[in-house]
Amino acid sequence: MGCCDVFAQKAIKMHHAYIDKFAYQDSPIHRIDARVKFIIAVVFTAVVISLPRTSVSILFCYAIGPFTVLVLGGIPLRFVFKHILLVSPFVLVLALTGPLYDKRAETVVFGPWDWQTTVGWLRCYSIIGKFVVTMLTLISLVSTTRFAELLAGLRRLAVPKILVIQMGFLYRYLFLLIDSAHHIIRARVARAIGKIGFRNETRVAAAMLGSLFVRSIDAAERINVAMQARGFEGHWRTINRLTIRGRDWVFAAVSAAFIFGMYVFVKPILG
Amino acid sequence: MTKAIQIEKFSYSYPDGTKALSDITLDIDHGQRVALIGPNGAGKSTLLLAMAGFIRGAGRIIIDGLEIASGNLKQVRSCIGCCLENPEDQLFMPTLFDDVAFGPLNMGLDPEQVRQRVAVALEKVGLPGMAERAPHHLSAGQKRAASIATVLSMSPKIITLDEPDGSLDPRHRDNLVRLLNGLHQTLVIATCSMDFAAAVADTAVVIDGGRVIVVGPAEKIMSDSKMMTNHGLEVPRKFANEQA
Repeated sequence: MGCCDVFAQKAIKMHHAYIDKFAYQDSPIHRIDARVKFIIAVVFTAVVISLPRTSVSILFCYAIGPFTVLVLGGIPLRFVFKHILLVSPFVLVLALTGPLYDKRAETVVFGPWDWQTTVGWLRCYSIIGKFVVTMLTLISLVSTTRFAELLAGLRRLAVPKILVIQMGFLYRYLFLLIDSAHHIIRARVARAIGKIGFRNETRVAAAMLGSLFVRSIDAAERINVAMQARGFEGHWRTINRLTIRGRDWVFAAVSAAFIFGMYVFVKPILG
Repeated sequence: MTKAIQIEKFSYSYPDGTKALSDITLDIDHGQRVALIGPNGAGKSTLLLAMAGFIRGAGRIIIDGLEIASGNLKQVRSCIGCCLENPEDQLFMPTLFDDVAFGPLNMGLDPEQVRQRVAVALEKVGLPGMAERAPHHLSAGQKRAASIATVLSMSPKIITLDEPDGSLDPRHRDNLVRLLNGLHQTLVIATCSMDFAAAVADTAVVIDGGRVIVVGPAEKIMSDSKMMTNHGLEVPRKFANEQA
């Protein structure tokens, strides 16, 4: 079986329902206002990213935050780590270049313990640690918040309307695009008898991509007709259905206390 | 009294010169339930697009007394609601609520009125309590019903539906027939399914090769087996059984 066939088989087995299936669960975390979760996720991510490269140990403590949210939200950890592993190769390549060019000695402190390493390795640990913590944060946000609420929240937070509309369309039609791609790949696999060689495989793949592109343009035209048929003239109107409640304030206060408490009290101890 | 739809000698050709509609003349009264029937490529969908002002050709199309022109498309489209063939094109918002509210919001209604219209439309199509669902989480039958709700919420006088029974199983098709038979609006339904047309329409318009072949009572037109066969159609079971 060629590499293209393996890819095709995997693509057929994948299904888009996995992308947002946990966002529709009900839990105390799912019920928190999307704006509150979004702001906390942004602040948390900014604090984690801005930590100095020597503060590797504090990253373990910061991971407790999104980890708790995932557990309270009922998100299976297997799902979480599978998604982290899925995107990790890109970050690992970046992180592993550090030890190759920066070999200056550096001491790592973890509470009462310390050991010698190089600045390159420290940078590597720091990148991987920050990546895992920020991915946990991102997954805990998107798995506990319906995308429609997130978009409405972003709009209320004065994110430019055009950006929110684009994200809305991307979310809505990404699933259809994935479906179309699956159908094309399935049709290709159904007729792939024998090897046709890498060059021909490339040619077929290009034709499949072209077909997907044409289908996307056709769909865009039909959607435009549907919008105009319902009176759309370029002004995007929606109704705000988000309200901040007491539980949102409590969640915001606890999260803020965690983020800044770690920075002010725990970081000086761990170094 | 003004007609719901008046089409006078309307012709349209695609940009490559292919004739899509030729000299179409058709009158539809308010409250009529019209089935546009014809083989694939007959021009049914193109005629529906022309009725909503999406394509412009030679001749006149008058919707509820208003001749379609560039300056009055908004008024025309608040009067005629279009349900496209594929519900995925009709449902483009992240939630069902946003989709059904899209039309009323563009009509300038206040949020409370919009909420009411969304609730009523979803209730009517049998999807109450599903306003917060994402369209991609609905079944094919629910998507079809939801796409009709997006039009109903605008309270149009006329509703056009392009192949509304496409890819529906018998149970969902029966639900759709019940839903359409419960509407009081003027309906124009383009379909290739004769059984479906016989179940919902009181008037049939046979179109073939971009021309109107015959217009008349659904039972009379669709029972004419010779004419139906000549145009690549079949007599619906309902009328075939009656003949037998």
